[in-house]
Amino acid sequence: MSSRRSRVTGLRAMGAGLAALGLLASGCGGGDTGADGKVTIRYSWWGAQDRADLINRTIDLFEKENPGIEVKTDFQEYGDFWTKFNTQAAGGNPPDVFQNSYAFLRKYGRKNLLLDLNAQVKAGNLNLDDFRQGLGRAGEIDGKLLGVPVGANTFTLVYDVKAFEEAGVTPEHGWTWKDFDAAVKKISEPGEEFWGASSNGGVMYLYDLYLRQQDKAFFTEDGLGFTEADLRKWWGDHRAKLDDGLLVPAKQAAQVLPKSEVSAGLSAAEFTWDNFLARYASETDRELALAPIPTMDGERTAQYLSSLMLSASARTEHPEEVAKFIDFMVNDPEVGKIMGYNRGVLPTNAQFEAYEPEGPDAKIAEYEQSVTDYLEPITPHPAGTDTVEAAFLSIYRSMAQGSVSVDEAVSQFFDEAKTALGS
Amino acid sequence: MSAPTGTVRPARPSRGGANASARRRARSVLWHLGALALLAVVLYPVVWVLGGSLKPGDEIVGSLELLPTDPITDNYERLADGIAGIGIETFFVNSLLVALGSVAGVLISCSLAAYAFARIRFAGRNVLFALMIGTLLLPVHVLLVPQYVLFQKMELVNTYVPLLLGKFLAVDAFFVFLMVQFMRNLPRELDEAARIDGCGHWRIYWTIVLPLCRPALITSAIFSFIWAWNDFLGPLIYLNEPDKYTVSLGLKMFMDQDSLADYGGMIAMSVAALLPVLLFFLAFQRYLVEGAATSGLKG
Amino acid sequence: MMRTETPAPAGTEEERAAGNPRRPDPSAPASRPAATARRRARRETLAGYLFLSPWCVGILLLTLGPMLVSLYLAFTDYNLFDSPRWVGLENFSEMFSDGRWWTSVRVTAVFVLVATPLKLAVALGVAMLLVRPRKGQGFYRSAFYAPSLIGASVSIGIVWRALFQDDAVVDRSLSLFGWDGGGWVGDPDWSIPTLIALSAWQFGAPMVIFLAGLKQVPRELYEAAEVDGAGAWRRFRSITLPMISPVLFFNLLLEIIHSFQIFTSALVIAGPGGRAGGPGDSLLVYTWYLYEQGFSNLRMGYASAMAWMLLAGIAVVTAVLFWSQRRWVHYEEGGR
Repeated sequence: MSSRRSRVTGLRAMGAGLAALGLLASGCGGGDTGADGKVTIRYSWWGAQDRADLINRTIDLFEKENPGIEVKTDFQEYGDFWTKFNTQAAGGNPPDVFQNSYAFLRKYGRKNLLLDLNAQVKAGNLNLDDFRQGLGRAGEIDGKLLGVPVGANTFTLVYDVKAFEEAGVTPEHGWTWKDFDAAVKKISEPGEEFWGASSNGGVMYLYDLYLRQQDKAFFTEDGLGFTEADLRKWWGDHRAKLDDGLLVPAKQAAQVLPKSEVSAGLSAAEFTWDNFLARYASETDRELALAPIPTMDGERTAQYLSSLMLSASARTEHPEEVAKFIDFMVNDPEVGKIMGYNRGVLPTNAQFEAYEPEGPDAKIAEYEQSVTDYLEPITPHPAGTDTVEAAFLSIYRSMAQGSVSVDEAVSQFFDEAKTALGS
Repeated sequence: MSAPTGTVRPARPSRGGANASARRRARSVLWHLGALALLAVVLYPVVWVLGGSLKPGDEIVGSLELLPTDPITDNYERLADGIAGIGIETFFVNSLLVALGSVAGVLISCSLAAYAFARIRFAGRNVLFALMIGTLLLPVHVLLVPQYVLFQKMELVNTYVPLLLGKFLAVDAFFVFLMVQFMRNLPRELDEAARIDGCGHWRIYWTIVLPLCRPALITSAIFSFIWAWNDFLGPLIYLNEPDKYTVSLGLKMFMDQDSLADYGGMIAMSVAALLPVLLFFLAFQRYLVEGAATSGLKG
Repeated sequence: MMRTETPAPAGTEEERAAGNPRRPDPSAPASRPAATARRRARRETLAGYLFLSPWCVGILLLTLGPMLVSLYLAFTDYNLFDSPRWVGLENFSEMFSDGRWWTSVRVTAVFVLVATPLKLAVALGVAMLLVRPRKGQGFYRSAFYAPSLIGASVSIGIVWRALFQDDAVVDRSLSLFGWDGGGWVGDPDWSIPTLIALSAWQFGAPMVIFLAGLKQVPRELYEAAEVDGAGAWRRFRSITLPMISPVLFFNLLLEIIHSFQIFTSALVIAGPGGRAGGPGDSLLVYTWYLYEQGFSNLRMGYASAMAWMLLAGIAVVTAVLFWSQRRWVHYEEGGR
């Protein structure tokens, strides 16, 4: 017994020793100042080459106007981005400034990884005055400004115009879930590889809106805002529609990955963020359009704006330069013209007005204008949101595939959400 | 290079007669037919990728056709313009650098370690050997962060050193083990004869064991080249500037959840990424087995 | 257990007949005084460590340190950013009540048990096909190796989904045999078979190693056996298998270890979106779940504990294999 304990303490001491040696503890931060007095900041983001082309142009612009600052960029696909970010941040070497989203603010804010930009706002390096619809403060959590939006999106229904015309349904503000269900039923034709709607019951943001329409929400500040019975009803409804052949079956959806069901021509309607229209439109010849979320009462969509943001690392040695960089990226009209709606609808008036959208972007702009008056404040996203979101989607898919029943799926989700939000 | 103890492959006894030769020819045709049929199955997905690279991007996903009805070269032309402002050749040069560096590192360091394990009796050998096998057993993901911190402390992040240092320090137990398996089966008489002539371990290693282990070395060279070429996690974590990226990172620049996906470009890039490794393999495969015939791996 | 020596050369009748005298151990020749032998042993040890010095530096610097750190972390609650907090055995006990952990163990075990033998059988079969010199053998070897050159990428994921979907080539071929499965993609029951197919398809590495081994089997043995009237199966059983057993051992060991750690291929098969595990967690392989816990959920302590649990599991299998090799692995030399 005593020998066992000493072995454990030994391990503990050894681990602590190694930690002290620095294999865990964080080293010194990123940026450096070159011999020529030039400050270099590292900027990381997720996306693909189309976004890279645009961002590179905005950075050229920034460097021309700020000759003392050099920006080095680095980008990956979304999942890889976070792996790299987590490793580098754990190693004490996070990028000075990086793309972020609202869902991660609490997760990383709580671990003191994000710089409170309020000091820079006060110092005049970062101007938040021109933001649309109070977006400037959208990244403020508990009095700390942890992120600044570079683009804002709201939820939408992407729909196949022709299919809805044929069904005689015009989706417009104030339409109800009943209208939606009726349209789906009309469009779905038994025996054909075309369904009324994509199987979206696992999309957390959609269920959030559905709950908000009933004065609930997906999250509270630190937990779930709905009961198992609520979820049983939501997933149960989807189960029934799947059984009736109204939603795209899981198997067909899996076969067309990484395309979405609507752009693969499997379904006539899909709930998603409005900026996804650009991607969907490029993947299909069908005419797609955007509609507001159906309502319960013919009035309230409960939609809100969510944003992609830029956050600064708490470890950066160049907070001032980083703030100037963010300021430039959100306020400069030229940047707006270049970026368009690649990261969402432009956040400041100056940029929004400078950019003249065409094609899918024009539809997105029109849609966002049309819903402006109905927008509400966003649901809080506690730390662990990303884990819960992934679990919600995966467990729904298992249910949709029929490998678990609705009841099993619901209790599995609640178990996992508890762990994710508790830690 | 002629090996001291070459096993000369015996000439096939000729079974004279036109009848036998016809039968042999028939068997050979049969063999080729069988091998080609098997190849057709094995290579079907590879051909699909080749065909896909000649299809328009929006026809690729879920395509039922093996080959395009109307082949186009747009995907490759787009590649020639570079990805995200970086010339495509940059990725290939970088990958080549890393892959060739890995080959050199693995050949030198792993053969030294393998020689020690296989041919020298020293105190603690079994423990160290077990330790080496042990390093194969832990999934790399839990080592990422501590290793990253180490290279970060040494200020080697954003260089190729973290990708190569391990290769020069024989960290890849697979190759050490592979070479050990080969070296153990070299006849021991060779060492003893050399020893009597007054050769030290270094001479034995360099003039006897290494030449005899050529198949193991070639195998290791091929594998280390391909694995370094395809490695993703290392370059992802350690390289911070796109113009230092390797091909495996470049391959992932075509898609992201909120981007327009360029399936055509991606498939074309996959084909392009395949070519150098295929050439490397083609160039070295013949040493692979011919070499084996003249040396050590017995059993 | 894990040792480089193998007792008693098993050899074959022919070799024994040819005379394969046991040589005296050079490090302890009986005729020399003991002091010389000790000096000799010391010199050998010195030489051993000299040759091993790069490896020693490597393992101390790059492997052992990080491994010990992860061992320590296995007993802590560590979110990557705050200091680790000691929790004793909590991570390990949590595993046993974690449903998804059990799923990952089950999925991985099935994969290892089926994919490893299948892949080795394919590799050995093709290697035997290619072992005799033929016209165009370089082409055949390279062509059979090509799938392994591609690695596991997004493109392979797209190809695989395209081939296994409803009414695609695999489905059509199977229905020729009267099996109308309707495609394997998106069907949780068929995820693992698809993953196994992908893994077996990339059989190049073991094939190359088998080829090298097969080339070494003296053809005289086969000819002698043929004269004795031994059929193809007999020849395979009593000549080929024993003769290539060291190579088989190597391939078996390494493939088992790799199969336990399978990661990228599962990701490729599951496709993008959702989280680790694919449809109904049917592809939740162990390392993937570990990765999700460590990097998405920021539970590196738990992930480390999982890693060490896996290490323990593979170590047991490895130990059994090493122990068993004296029964079936035949090193021609006395081995050292």
